[in-house]
Formats: sequence, C-alpha cells, structure tokens
Amino acid sequence: MEVKKIAVLGAGIMGHGIAQVCAQAGYQVNLRDTKDEFVEAGIRKIRKFLGGSVERQKMTQAEADAILGRIKGITDLKEVVKDVDLIIEAIVEDINIKKEAYKELDQICRSDTIFASNTSAQSITEMAMATKRPDKFIGMHWFNPPQLMRGIEVITHDKTSKETLDTMVGLCKKLGKEPGICKDSPGFIVNRLIQIWYNEGLNMFDEGIAEPQDIDTALKVAYNFRMGPFELRDMVGLDVALASTGTQYRELMREQFRPPRCLIMKVKAGDLGRKTGRGFYEYKSEG
Amino acid sequence: MKIQAINIIGEGELAAKLKELVAKVDFKVIISDLSQDYAKQAADADLVLEVAPEDMAAKKKVFKSCDAKCGKEAILATATANPWVTQLAKATKRPEKVIGLNFTKNPFEEKYLVQIVRGLQTSDETIQAVKEFLGKVGVTAVKLEENPGFILDRVIASIINEAAVMYSSKLATKEDIDSMMKVCVNWPMGPFEFGDTIGVDKVVEVLESMTQQLGLRYQPCFLLRKMVDAGWLGKKTGRGFYVYS
Repeated sequence: MEVKKIAVLGAGIMGHGIAQVCAQAGYQVNLRDTKDEFVEAGIRKIRKFLGGSVERQKMTQAEADAILGRIKGITDLKEVVKDVDLIIEAIVEDINIKKEAYKELDQICRSDTIFASNTSAQSITEMAMATKRPDKFIGMHWFNPPQLMRGIEVITHDKTSKETLDTMVGLCKKLGKEPGICKDSPGFIVNRLIQIWYNEGLNMFDEGIAEPQDIDTALKVAYNFRMGPFELRDMVGLDVALASTGTQYRELMREQFRPPRCLIMKVKAGDLGRKTGRGFYEYKSEG
Repeated sequence: MKIQAINIIGEGELAAKLKELVAKVDFKVIISDLSQDYAKQAADADLVLEVAPEDMAAKKKVFKSCDAKCGKEAILATATANPWVTQLAKATKRPEKVIGLNFTKNPFEEKYLVQIVRGLQTSDETIQAVKEFLGKVGVTAVKLEENPGFILDRVIASIINEAAVMYSSKLATKEDIDSMMKVCVNWPMGPFEFGDTIGVDKVVEVLESMTQQLGLRYQPCFLLRKMVDAGWLGKKTGRGFYVYS
C-alpha cells in the first residue's frame, strides 16, 4: 500500500517532531492534539526548528514554507483521520488511554488505514487486539528528537500482515530513517539492551567494585561510548530511569533487570540527576 | 615510592606495545621473555609488569621468582584479565605490592585504557605509585576492586549475552540489533560486532567466571557455547556472528 497522507496524533515532544519529518519527506500531515493551544504549540516548535535550518542554510525559506504548508493542525478527530493512509499515534504512554483511542479510531477510520503506535513501553499486541484490524497494526518507535535520530524500531506482533510491515519499512526509508524490525516484547531491542548496560554499570557501584567516574571513564576511553551509564542516567533523570527500569523488571522478571539499589536510594533522597543539581555526580547550577 | 626502572616480562603484541608506550617517557625499560632469566634481569626494576599467557601456574612462577630476586620495594604487577591478583600475591612475600594492570586497546583508535585492579592486600601506596607512573606514560587509568570481568568485560559480555538471547529467540536479526544500538543510542558498535571483536570464546569465559561468582544471571546463552564448539570465535577465526573475508 502506498502512503500519501499521514495523521500524527499528539503534538508533544515526539508528535510534532514526527509530523515535521513526514512533511519534510513530502507527505501531507494532519497533526492532532486535544486542544488548539497544544496543536499551535507543536506547529510553533516546527516553525522554529525549520527557521533554524534556514538560518544555517540547510534549506531555503521557500522549502521551509512548503514543509509547513503540508502540515495541517486539527483538533477534531473525525476530520483528522479523513482520507489518511496511516495514523502515527504519539499520545500519552498509558495502555488504557491508548486502547480507548484505538477503539474509537477503528470505528471512524477507513478500513485500510494502518495504525502505528509510537510507544516505547506498551504492548503492541494488546493495543492491536483493541481494534478489528490487528493485521494493520504495528509499532513505530521513534527516538528523541525525531528530527535528528536516524533509527526507528518497527514492532510486529503475531497478526501484523506482511503488507503492513513492508509498507512501514518502505515508509521509514522514504523518511530517511533506518528501520530495525523486532517482535513485540518488553523494551523491544534498544531499551532492553541498554537496560543491561545501565544495570551492569550501576550494579558494580552497588557492589563496591568501582566508582561511577571510573566506570564511565572506562567505557568511554576503551570503547568510545559517548557517555557512561551514570552520566546518561543523570541526564535523563533518575526518577524516569527508575520508573522504566521497574517496568522492564516487572515484565521480563529476570534478575539482571532488577532496579539497582543506588538508583532507588538516589530517588528516595531526591537526587534526581542534572535537573536537581545532583545525582551520581554534582552539577553546578547554571544561574 | 617512585617508579623509574620497569621490567616487562612476556612476549607478543602487548609486551611490544607496552615497551613502546613506556619508552616515550624517560624510564629505564627492559623487556624479557619467559625463556630468559627474567627474574635476574628484573632485579633492579621498581615495577615488574608480567604479560605472560593467561595461565595461572606460569604466572605464579613468574611472581615467585621475581619476588626472590627483586628489591623489596619493587611492585609486581600482572596484566591478566582474570581476577587473579590476590592469588598471585600469595605466591610472593610482598602481597601489598602486588597489583593488576590490565590494558585494553581501543578498537577504533591507537589508545589504551588501563584497569588498575586492587587485590585484597594491595596497599594504597602501591596504587598511588602505579597511578603516578601511568600518568607519566599518559594513559587513562581507572581503579577497581578485584572482581570477575573487571569493569569492561563485565559490561560488554553482559550486553553480548543478552543480545544473543534476543537473537536466538528470533525477536530480531543480528543485523537489526547491531544497527539499532548504533543509530538509536549512538553505541560505537553493536553487541554482535563487540562479540566478534573481543572473541566469542573470551566472552564465554568471562560469563562463566561471573556465573561462578555472581550467579546464574550471567550464564552464557547456549548459542555462544555452540559458536565456541563450532570454532566461530569472531574476527580472529574469520567467522563469528558475521563472516569476515
């Protein structure tokens, strides 16, 4: 199936970036959020990003205008999904809210519209089964920021049709992205493996083997990791890190995914990383 | 204690490379191989660095003879990747002066990382002297307590093992797993590329050593064992997860 028109649901951090990437690749995009102000905020961010590209002479003003011209901000759901070939859903990461949304979409969308969920943590299978079109349901996990990160995890479940998968892989390539196909499973590829990398680092600190600085330095100097596990955890925020670690541990139920003690204690102590000025490292305030 | 004269005992690439590194600074360096009377040659050294093959008995012999011939202030270091520092210290009468200095070559650039491994009896003074020495040589060093896998092998073997589990379970292809780790989170290599670079046999060894000490969660994925049985050890045998021409 050829995708011509795309609806992006959710104009937040991921949604607006996804809409921009699609429009840049020449697709007509309906960008939807629940309130006008959210939609406007998303479009404002796209305009700002494109303005920066024009300033750095990465594109002309005319090109930027054309991209913006392909994006339509809409709040009415029925109008959003009218005549779209693909829906990319980037709403809140709550399985019940997502399932409700898909039930509604299933009724108002054309029967051949593909549903793609940009989730990092929810089960594709469970969401697909909330619709009557599980064969047209697939996961499309983007990385932040969508405009710059080149990889997209394409998540299949048992009932995803080959046609849906082929359409999605073809689309990723047209968007200039690199797709990686993975069966529905906790953490997919990237979050599952990086979790091991984080946990082994943090566990060594818990076990008194080495200090965060030594562990981070070792990985960066020996193997050119850009940041170490402690630096990255501090950057993302330790509360966010603990929540995602906990989710994976509950789903995979294997010892190597258990949240490290040092992470739990830092969160209890309110040392959440860069945003509070202290996590595994100390940060001087910028003010 | 100041390190000025160094004796490197062992052969091969690492021994030669270490000599080159150390020789850049104004140290007195002797390099001797195991067939020579290395202990006599090491008699005046402040630091003896053993880079013999990974064989406990051979290493113990080196430590015992050097302990007998070297000055009583001399530091005896092993480059082993195994957690053997405390055991080697036992072969000497100077356990506080025995330490691990494990060199890892960066696969992308001409640089090394040193893992300074502290055995149970290694003194702070010994660590300090070694740190100063490495600072002069100009290599980055990190410090850890002796433990299976040290820092690097523990992390890298663990991600390779998990990736092997995912690949064996047919969740994704090895190519997609490698490429996603590189393009989505900027890893320098994918887990299977790491495996082929380090050597699948070494990965299994590290995992087994960690399993013994830290528990079943480090048990090697059966795919890795089969690869060792088949001789698919990575780049060095022309085939590992990938085929190399």
